[in-house]
Amino acid sequence: MVSTPVGVRKGAWTEDEDNLLRKCIDKYGEGKWHQVPLRAGLNRCRKSCRLRWLNYLRPNIKRGDFTPDEDDLIIRLHKLLGNRWSLISGRLPGRTANDVKNHWNTHLQKKVLAREGGRSKSQKTTILKPRPRTFKRIAPFSCRDKTTYEPNISITDQNSDNPSASSSKQVDDECTQWWSNLLDSVEIDGETEPGSNGISLELQEEDNDWNDFSLDMDILKLLSSENSMIN
Amino acid sequence: MENSTQESNLRSEICVTYDSPYPIYAMAVTNAAASPHLRRIAVGSFIEEFNNRVDILSFDHDALSLKPTPSLSFDHPYPPTKLMFHPTPSASTSTATSAGNLLASSGDCLRLWELRDTSIEPISVFNNSKTSEFCAPLTSFDWNEVEPRRIGTSSIDTTCTIWDIEKGVVETQLIAHDKEVYDIAWGEAGVFASVSADGSVRIFDLRDKEHSTIIYESPQPDTPLLRLAWNKQDLRYMATILMDSNKIVILDIRSPTMPVAELERHQASVNAIAWAPQSCRHICSAGDDGQALLWELPTVAGPNGIDPISMYTAGAEINQLQWSAAQSDWISIAFANKLQLLKV
Repeated sequence: MVSTPVGVRKGAWTEDEDNLLRKCIDKYGEGKWHQVPLRAGLNRCRKSCRLRWLNYLRPNIKRGDFTPDEDDLIIRLHKLLGNRWSLISGRLPGRTANDVKNHWNTHLQKKVLAREGGRSKSQKTTILKPRPRTFKRIAPFSCRDKTTYEPNISITDQNSDNPSASSSKQVDDECTQWWSNLLDSVEIDGETEPGSNGISLELQEEDNDWNDFSLDMDILKLLSSENSMIN
Repeated sequence: MENSTQESNLRSEICVTYDSPYPIYAMAVTNAAASPHLRRIAVGSFIEEFNNRVDILSFDHDALSLKPTPSLSFDHPYPPTKLMFHPTPSASTSTATSAGNLLASSGDCLRLWELRDTSIEPISVFNNSKTSEFCAPLTSFDWNEVEPRRIGTSSIDTTCTIWDIEKGVVETQLIAHDKEVYDIAWGEAGVFASVSADGSVRIFDLRDKEHSTIIYESPQPDTPLLRLAWNKQDLRYMATILMDSNKIVILDIRSPTMPVAELERHQASVNAIAWAPQSCRHICSAGDDGQALLWELPTVAGPNGIDPISMYTAGAEINQLQWSAAQSDWISIAFANKLQLLKV
């Protein structure tokens, strides 16, 4: 008995339909919902079959009213989670998300609204989420101290021997600009993301106090050996 | 309280000890110039219960003693995760509302207390949650020195909240990280940085709340960064420590992602770091090996890394370290039930 999707039954499920569905699930198990109407001989949409089973016919669904404990738990969870019924029902064994939602909308929401109205509303603070900017990592075989070791390698395509003065200068300016803006209370507008155009950051050549930090010799040896391996 | 001189590995130091009846964690040194020879130190207990206490001690420079002031001791709900006095107290200390006597504490929420002569009064509780039942615990906070009405707090709900304490309202709340935020530090009036369990150090600028900048991420992804210290003498440098690591990572914000130095001389995990308030090159660290190390960051590091210039061994794991600008020649450490002041 193949029924076309257009001709499926809608509306309340009759007892016979329920029985057919139950028998089919008992026989074939829960998956493969697209075959269930066929196997059961039901004139129902497969989605409808699945939902009927999950929300009503499953053996371990609790019937009857929600206990006060459950009510309390639902209210707390809703305060914490909002309208995420599947998460809330996860904490209530034997209750489907659908049941919880219906129960909330019919009974509990009014109660909670009545309670909230009495309390003075704390001011609404909008929570912002800044989007993080990252800097592209300097290529692994770069070193900190230009004067002593092989100069930095930029990701673009410079090789280890001579970084062009111009590219390092340009990158210097970008770096300088970012943090100097940060620290000098200068208005920042329309800053492009440093590092997003593929230029890696390189060491600055300033003459400040302890600018020329070198890493441990071991690490640098490893880095320069990597360097030679790659070359 | 006792005076004692203890031998340490490298040199003997003068240190003053206070024995507390309970384990202590949070510490703060007052910046008020009430009397230069009588400094106040606030000490918070660390009892895993609801009832905790904060004691106020007086440190007498001349007599080298730490005395608790019983009348100025108060109850605190849950252990205070951080205590801090008002950073720039006003010159006049005669009026009762002088800013020099404000103490802030973080725990379940941010609280302000006022130290009066004979008592401590709670002034305000800053609670941002819409329901009064639940407030995400605060891991740390920082009082902005340039703008003392701003306090930034960091919380385990991944947000950082900036409070305007004069108006008593939230200035901004930002979802700072992907996981719990463990520490926050102000750099400038509107710039702060925070570290988190997601392993990143991010800088935020209140003028541009749409963006944050990640300047360092821990090499093993998702290794939490526990503490952050911003060098107030030289704002380019910050120090941070990773969880369960004996390294202190020094960062230069001009060169993001790559640490400028890694100080690796502790024998166990590092618990606290503090930059020197008077010098831009010195930093102190303390850890589970019971040692407090004083480092001087050189211009060029030696081949084997950087060695500390001074070391102090306490009897137990050191949990807290504070180096106050008001007392720049004394470093305070807390371990087990004791608070010790070490002379630099």
